[in-house]
Amino acid sequence: TGVTEIRSGFNAIKANIQARDPIRTLSILSHPHSLHKVKSSDKCCIIHKLFNFYMDKVFKHCQTEDSYVNRKISSIANSFLSIKRKLEQCHKQNKCLCGQESTEKFKQILVNYEGLNITSAAIKSLGELDILLDWMEKSH
Amino acid sequence: EDALLPAPQNISILSTNMRHFLTWSPVTIQGETVRYSVEFQGEYEREYANESWIPICECSLITATMCNITEDISATVAYNLRVRADIGARRSEWGTLKGFFNRITTSLTPPLMKVIADGYHLLVDLEDMGPAFQFYVLYWKKGQESRMQQKMVKDVSSTVHLDTMEAGPDYCVKAQTYVETINRSSTFSQTQCVRAQGGRSMWL
Repeated sequence: TGVTEIRSGFNAIKANIQARDPIRTLSILSHPHSLHKVKSSDKCCIIHKLFNFYMDKVFKHCQTEDSYVNRKISSIANSFLSIKRKLEQCHKQNKCLCGQESTEKFKQILVNYEGLNITSAAIKSLGELDILLDWMEKSH
Repeated sequence: EDALLPAPQNISILSTNMRHFLTWSPVTIQGETVRYSVEFQGEYEREYANESWIPICECSLITATMCNITEDISATVAYNLRVRADIGARRSEWGTLKGFFNRITTSLTPPLMKVIADGYHLLVDLEDMGPAFQFYVLYWKKGQESRMQQKMVKDVSSTVHLDTMEAGPDYCVKAQTYVETINRSSTFSQTQCVRAQGGRSMWL
C-alpha cells in the first residue's frame, strides 16, 4: 500500500522531474545491469540499501522552485520513511542479509551517483524511481 | 517597526475518513482583514531535511480559518502543522499544533449502504469514500447468524451482487470500511434486511 501511494505521488511529478534531467544516456539504478538481475535472496538487502540511499542522498537534493513538486517530494519521502521503518524491523531480525551480489550492485549504484554532480545525480535518481517501484512490485 | 499580530490559537485537526482539516480560532483586529498561511513538516523533514517546513499554497494568505491538508498528509508518519496571521506588512509568530498528527488516528465511520432485493438477487450499493477505502460486507439468513458470509469489496462504482436468495426468509446485511494504509476498520453499519421479491421467478 505504501508503494501504491509512492507511485501515485511520483506519477504526479514524473514528467516534471524527468524533464530536469538532460543526461539521457546514463542510468543510476540500471547501469551496467538492471535491478532485475538481483537474486531473490538479495532483494530485501538491496531494497533496504536503496531506501537509505534515497533518504540520505536523493530527496534532500531535489528541492525545486515549484511548490507543488516540493510537496509531492515530501509525500514520497515521508512514505519512504514509513516503509523504511518496517524494513528496519526485518533488518533487525536478520531477515535481510546482504550477499556479495547486492553489495556489488549497490556499490555500482553509488559509483553511478558519484559520477555526476549532486543535484543532477539526485534529480536523475528521483526520475528513475519508477524503475525501483516496478522492480519492487514485480518481486513482491 | 511593524507591530506583531497575535499568533492564531486553538489550532486543531479535524480528521474523518482520511480527510484531514486544520482549524484555528480567528485573530480579530477591528476594521482589518486578517489572512492566514499554513505550513507542514513531516517526519522526513524533521529527520533528514533540517527540520524544514513546507508551505501549502492553497492555504497561503487565506481569510478562512480552516485548511484542507489531506493532499499533504500522505504517509503514515507524524506531522507537525503551523499557521500564522498577516495584515499587510504586519505578521504574527507561528502558532503550532500541539503534538503531532498521524493519519492513523483518523476517525472512520461505517459506510452508507443500501440493500436491494432484485427478484431473488441480494444486492448492495455502497458509498464511494475514495481510493483508500475497501469494504467488508457481511450477509446472512435471518436467524442463522452462525452461517454469516463475508465479501471484501474494493470497487463500489457499481452495485455489488452478494447472493441468490431463497423465497421466504429475510436476508440481512451490514458493512464496515477498511483502510489498508493505516490497517484500521470502522464499526459496522446498521443491519438492513430484505426478502426475495416473490412472483418474479428467475425462470420467467
